Amino acid sequence: MVSVSMAVDLGGIKMRNPLNTASGTYGNGWQFEGFYDVGATLGAITCKGVAAEPWDGNPAPRLAELRGSAIMNSVGLQNPGIPAFVDLYGSYLQGLRDRGCQVICQVAGHSIDEYVRAIELYEELAPFASGFEINISCPNIAAGGAAMGATPAAAAEVMAAVRPRTSRPLVVKMAPHDVAEIGRALESEGADALSLINTIPGMAIDVRTRKSRLSRPTAGVSGPAIHAIAVRMVWECAKAVKIPLCGIGGVASGEDAAEMILAGATAVSVGTANMCEPTCVPRILAELEQWAQEQGVNDINELIGAFEC
Amino acid sequence: MDLGNVTQYGFEVVSNECVAQDVWRLIVRSDVAQTIEPGQFMNLRVPGDGAHILRIPLSFKRADADDGTVELLYAVVGEGTRRLSAMRPGDSSTLVGPSGNGWRAPAHAGRALLVAGGIGLPPVLAAADLLSALDVDFDLIVGARSAAMLVMPDVEACMASAGDDARLVVCTDDGSAGVRGFVTQGMEELLGERSYAQVYTCGPSVMMAGVARLARKAGIACQVSMERMMGCGFGACACCNVALSEGGYALCCQDGPVFDAEEVAW
Repeated sequence: MVSVSMAVDLGGIKMRNPLNTASGTYGNGWQFEGFYDVGATLGAITCKGVAAEPWDGNPAPRLAELRGSAIMNSVGLQNPGIPAFVDLYGSYLQGLRDRGCQVICQVAGHSIDEYVRAIELYEELAPFASGFEINISCPNIAAGGAAMGATPAAAAEVMAAVRPRTSRPLVVKMAPHDVAEIGRALESEGADALSLINTIPGMAIDVRTRKSRLSRPTAGVSGPAIHAIAVRMVWECAKAVKIPLCGIGGVASGEDAAEMILAGATAVSVGTANMCEPTCVPRILAELEQWAQEQGVNDINELIGAFEC
Repeated sequence: MDLGNVTQYGFEVVSNECVAQDVWRLIVRSDVAQTIEPGQFMNLRVPGDGAHILRIPLSFKRADADDGTVELLYAVVGEGTRRLSAMRPGDSSTLVGPSGNGWRAPAHAGRALLVAGGIGLPPVLAAADLLSALDVDFDLIVGARSAAMLVMPDVEACMASAGDDARLVVCTDDGSAGVRGFVTQGMEELLGERSYAQVYTCGPSVMMAGVARLARKAGIACQVSMERMMGCGFGACACCNVALSEGGYALCCQDGPVFDAEEVAW
């Protein structure tokens, strides 16, 4: 079979193939070097969310396994702050860039000022960043996070504040609700791309103790169980905006990634599957490429949004 | 920064047998046997159940590099370990490892004290192997809820390499074997009679907190092997946090599972 061109453009982030990683499930890439050559494989990685200052994250327990192919986490964006992040991982991440893997740095904040400060620090310290992902949808922090992206107006306010601070591509990580309206608001304020969905807030109660199985009452559900919901939201968002999307949610196979692309995603992030099957990315990529070949296209871009209804 | 050295290996079950109440002995053939160090752990995939997506993180008792086998003892405590106990000789799957940092050699010369509670036994037996290879004598305290949950053949075999004049103290909650009570009571008695250069412990968190407190009071360095609910098992997801005495968190999988007791906020 003829080879298919797999390169895609996620809002100015030129990826050699559509595969990206969901922030928080992939460390900062180096943890996977024992499994495969990260820089030679992925289109992009999205690093763990980092704020201007260090955050401790939430107390233990931060994780519960659910029945039915899902987990819940409440990590709460534990991070060392941008200066330490750059010191620790900057040279490794520059190496990924040099090997053709784009590096998307994720921006965390409790307030608009903190998002702005984080972008300013990245601009100053992180030449290796191909672009930034603004996380306005973390369900696991007390202030900021999901609240910052809960309405079109709130999301637009964050976007308007960070947009002038960088000329590098800005992706916005969206919460799993109102994706058409919020997507339009972000697009109108200059977002280059949108990534969706973040985890879906859920609860897991230990019925013996009557307490949450995690350290917080609610936490984010992820894994194959949420895939169909994520595909639907990508489709809804794709119909509402012109900027490219990165589809995230329960992707564990080439078929899952293909669904995201047909629903309208330009790129696809692998998340929870990295934790369970750390060798999955090369397999998913091979399966995706085989699917594109079987579809008889020369370029994977022909399949973006090619869902028929 | 060290790049990740954790990788995925295949494994094949050599044997998998119940050896005490809710305690099973699993022997697997896997190339991880060549590299895994005492106190490290591995993350096993039990095949055939798409509903449960996480692996099962397990410490091990002994790795035989020549034979290419790893011996584990595990407790059947939930759905995942119940399914693991159904794996039969010849069944195969994958594991991720060798994960985390293992036991460190004692910093000072002198007798070591090993304290194991419940299914904390296997990494403590691995520490015993490390010590006997270094010609360090040790005493061992083993606790369990009842006699039925003790794995005495392994405990007795371990004592064969404990050195001269070694002491074994067995404690059970119900008094059905050894002395009735917690391992910390046994530890207090031994501390009154002998001096130690190093304590190694693994067991329930509340037990290790007690062991750490006694060690600190006696001025003895103490290494603890922590357990947490784990996602990836190699530092990527930050789900298995351990609170530190200096504030903030370490990751059990990447920074542990072995910590200095003083580092941990009990």
